[in-house]
Amino acid sequence: MNFKYIVRMPFSSIGRKILMASSGLLLALFMLVHLGENLLILKGESAYNGWVDLLLSNPLIPAMEVGLLVLFLLHIFFGLWVRFEDWKNSRKRNYEVNKSQGGRTIGSATMLYTAFALLLYLVYHMIHFRFADHSMGFYQMVTEAFRDKFFVSIYVLGALALALHLSHGFQSAFQTLGIQHEKYTPVIKATGWIVSALMILFAFISIYFFAGFDAKLQYEQEKVLETVIE
Amino acid sequence: MEKKTFGITLRVWKQEQGEQTGHFEIYKIDGLTGDISFLEMLDILNEKLLKEGREPIAVESDCREGICGCCGLVINGDVHGPDEHSTVCQLHMRRFKDKDVITIEPFRAAPFPPIKDLVIDRSAMDSIIKAGGYISVNTGSAPDANSIPIEKAQAEKAMDFAACIGCGACVAACPNSAAMLFTGAKIAQLSLLPQGNPERNIRVLNMVKAMDSLGFGNCSNEYECEAVCPKEIRISAIAKMNREFIKANFASEQ
Repeated sequence: MNFKYIVRMPFSSIGRKILMASSGLLLALFMLVHLGENLLILKGESAYNGWVDLLLSNPLIPAMEVGLLVLFLLHIFFGLWVRFEDWKNSRKRNYEVNKSQGGRTIGSATMLYTAFALLLYLVYHMIHFRFADHSMGFYQMVTEAFRDKFFVSIYVLGALALALHLSHGFQSAFQTLGIQHEKYTPVIKATGWIVSALMILFAFISIYFFAGFDAKLQYEQEKVLETVIE
Repeated sequence: MEKKTFGITLRVWKQEQGEQTGHFEIYKIDGLTGDISFLEMLDILNEKLLKEGREPIAVESDCREGICGCCGLVINGDVHGPDEHSTVCQLHMRRFKDKDVITIEPFRAAPFPPIKDLVIDRSAMDSIIKAGGYISVNTGSAPDANSIPIEKAQAEKAMDFAACIGCGACVAACPNSAAMLFTGAKIAQLSLLPQGNPERNIRVLNMVKAMDSLGFGNCSNEYECEAVCPKEIRISAIAKMNREFIKANFASEQ
């Protein structure tokens, strides 16, 4: 039996990058689904809680959660390994005049920093939503959290870090997987920009509740109702 | 007609042979015209230094027509100087103004140990080529020129990657000192030609292994290499290498 092909994946530069890129792309896909679910909260309590109940009634959810955890761990592990190799092989002395040659973007230059910010954010997010008390219902839990100034700031920073991370990560992952051609690479790049811009909607949701738009909307609806009755 | 001349100040990296570290030395040079090349300017300075009994600056160059890959300097933070997609020898003094202060550094990367001043040892790149950047053929009489027909477009594509002169600018510009563009160019070139086909799987695996073991970094798709390459090798070379790697790893006997 030949197992060299398995060993080669973690123990070669390209193999590690492929593992990081593919897990990253799957995580980006998850983020899009997650965003879609979160946007349901704008439709009100019954829509959101109804969806959450339906989701949790799926017996496969615990297994999928484990899968998601594995994806995160793979992405973090191989991302750190790639960075460790780069750090190990870094220049003995840096350039006196350090200058971008025109290839780097803010997103690509800050990948490691946004990664750490996202990790911290993820832990915070898990503590406050995943492992929190769910007895009051998910809608109540989330909207109440969004009334807090500190919580909303963390949430907005997290969304911005995610947008920045994906602005490089999305198209970079395709390049790493060898999916690159002058025909469709512009499409991949544009998609990456759209996906990363969409991540800002996570921040929008929290600001929406923080600014009390839901209450205002309700108030206005009631007013409309009143005038209709009158 | 008298040509207008100008003077500049140079900050040049000086490092004694075998030393681990060095310093920046300041030189002033006058009487320059825009028509002379950057390397000629260094020649003039070195002659002046020799006449004064001072040690000249060690700098490498060979063909001075942009095709050998010998020269390679980082000028004011620009790999191969401020001109895009060009080698240092093609840089002319008209790119600079009177009283400019120009900082000159060697290409820096862990696998490129410095020899002296601006001269570095790039043999690590040769080691990557030795690991598989060739085709094995039986020696003997030269084969017939058109015995293996290759489409014109395909040959052109391979030639675009074969244009690499191995100057090391990609490594010097890479934030991770990765040699992926260099290695990818050779792999892409040979994988596009029928002559490279028999060894394509073992080639990519061996060359990537050599590249990793020589201490080059991991690519993080910053695309700095593509921006400086004097031969305009595109990052499609890296994508091609990654595809070849996936194919060799999962779909071959290797």
